[in-house]
Amino acid sequence: MTMIAPKESGSTPSPVLIYEKVRKLYGEFVALDEVSLRVDAGEVVCLIGPSGSGKSTLLRCTNALEPISGGTIYFDGRALPSVDRDIRKVRQRMGMVFQNFELFPHKSALDNVAIGPMTVLGMPKTQARERARALLAKVNLADKVDSFPSNLSGGQQQRVAIARALAMEPEVMLFDEPTSALDPETIGEVLNVMKALAEEGMTMIVVTHEMAFARRVADRVAVFEHGTILEHGSPEQIFENPETARTRDFLSHLGWDG
Amino acid sequence: MEFDFSPVVDSWRYLLDGVGISLMLSVWTMLGSLALGAAVGLGRVYGSAWLRVPLVFYIDTMRSIPVLVVLVWIYFAMPLLTGLNLSPFWSAAVALSLHIAAYVAEIIRAGIQSVREGQTRAGLALGMSTAQVVRVIVLPQALVRMLPAFGSIVSVTIKDTAIASVIAVPELLRRSETLAGQSFRPIEVFTAAMLIYFLLLVPATRLIDLLYRRVAHLGRS
Ligand SMILES: Nc1ncnc2c1ncn2[C@@H]1O[C@H](COP(=O)(O)OP(=O)(O)OP(=O)(O)O)[C@@H](O)[C@H]1O
Ligand SMILES: [Mg+2]
Repeated sequence: MTMIAPKESGSTPSPVLIYEKVRKLYGEFVALDEVSLRVDAGEVVCLIGPSGSGKSTLLRCTNALEPISGGTIYFDGRALPSVDRDIRKVRQRMGMVFQNFELFPHKSALDNVAIGPMTVLGMPKTQARERARALLAKVNLADKVDSFPSNLSGGQQQRVAIARALAMEPEVMLFDEPTSALDPETIGEVLNVMKALAEEGMTMIVVTHEMAFARRVADRVAVFEHGTILEHGSPEQIFENPETARTRDFLSHLGWDG
Repeated sequence: MEFDFSPVVDSWRYLLDGVGISLMLSVWTMLGSLALGAAVGLGRVYGSAWLRVPLVFYIDTMRSIPVLVVLVWIYFAMPLLTGLNLSPFWSAAVALSLHIAAYVAEIIRAGIQSVREGQTRAGLALGMSTAQVVRVIVLPQALVRMLPAFGSIVSVTIKDTAIASVIAVPELLRRSETLAGQSFRPIEVFTAAMLIYFLLLVPATRLIDLLYRRVAHLGRS
């Protein structure tokens, strides 16, 4: 048994995730090239960067959906395990939200949210549904509990997906372009839910092209290119005073004029 | 030309019993082919590489040999080779099951593989084991998607039971042949047989179609 020192409250922030020279290869192709990053408890870190730069890959490596090829990822002070059983334990403590929602089409909104606690934690159905109901209310979908995904708008589906991830009571939430597949008019409702979550103190890593969201909500922004972090810093720093020309190019490409 | 349906009417009981045997044979064949097909299909998707080789061989074999040939082989050749003797009914049930299971296996494989990868990732991300993902997320969706194909399997099975007549299983077609021969009324008797098959199958296929339309959205991710 390892004893874990109680987390200090207040002054020194405790790291939830530490990436140390993380490499990821797909065959010969280098998707992540010695990425180092630290995410503290309660922090919101936004990952931005051009398509194919490795942002999704980093998220998938974070909860071990993809094995890394080199370096180390520490979660709560420990390197990610390699044994299947232990990997599952880690995944239970991280919530993930996908670009395409990936709701389960054969389950109602309520059961989409309840299925995690029921299947993974063995929680009784009534209790899991109770939790699911509360979470759906929290994402403003109290009136949609019985709807099936096929009858929900994209924004509603993504909010169910967020509730589904929250049902496992994760310590960190990973968002992979949560609004990229949405109609413009429903983007706001999803971002609002995410913002509220950030304000509650949830630790979040958010891959996004929503620069206004990153600017307002992120504590830190990391700019990816070709599998490396080009630069990272506070939103002010990145958006007002980018160090590299590449970052400036990327931001102006997205219509961001500082 | 004059038609006389009285042989059909007089022997309705005899024909009806034949229908009963056709249906019994269909039910056993469906049970056998579903069990075997599910095992083969799941083995092909989730089994190890060495398991897949014989399974693919089995599927290819069954899809390239006419079911009638499988049937006469099991009934006439197998007893000589192995000493294993099956009644005509069970020979037919085994032959049809072996044949149809190959198609069931392919339907199951295609159904599972049509559920997109992201669904599995979503399940794993919640902390589910691979087995839980398969059972709770992939299979239910795959089953919905397989429904139309299973509808065809049901009708193919019922229709294919007619080949059992060649080894004298007293099912509908065999009894129709007997009755046609005795009454010298082949037109009327075989027309009646055709009509009976039609009346059995149309509602069955319609029903499955209707069911599918009601549940299709459950498989659409
Ligand atoms: N399974 C895979 N096999 C091979 N190459 C892959 C695989 N997954 C990703 N890649 C490659 O790795 C690179 C990084 O992909 P990744 O999905 O992380 O990019 P991204 O930054 O998320 O881009 P986007 O904004 O388009 O989502 C891409 O060039 C991609 O083609
Ligand atoms: Mg991506």
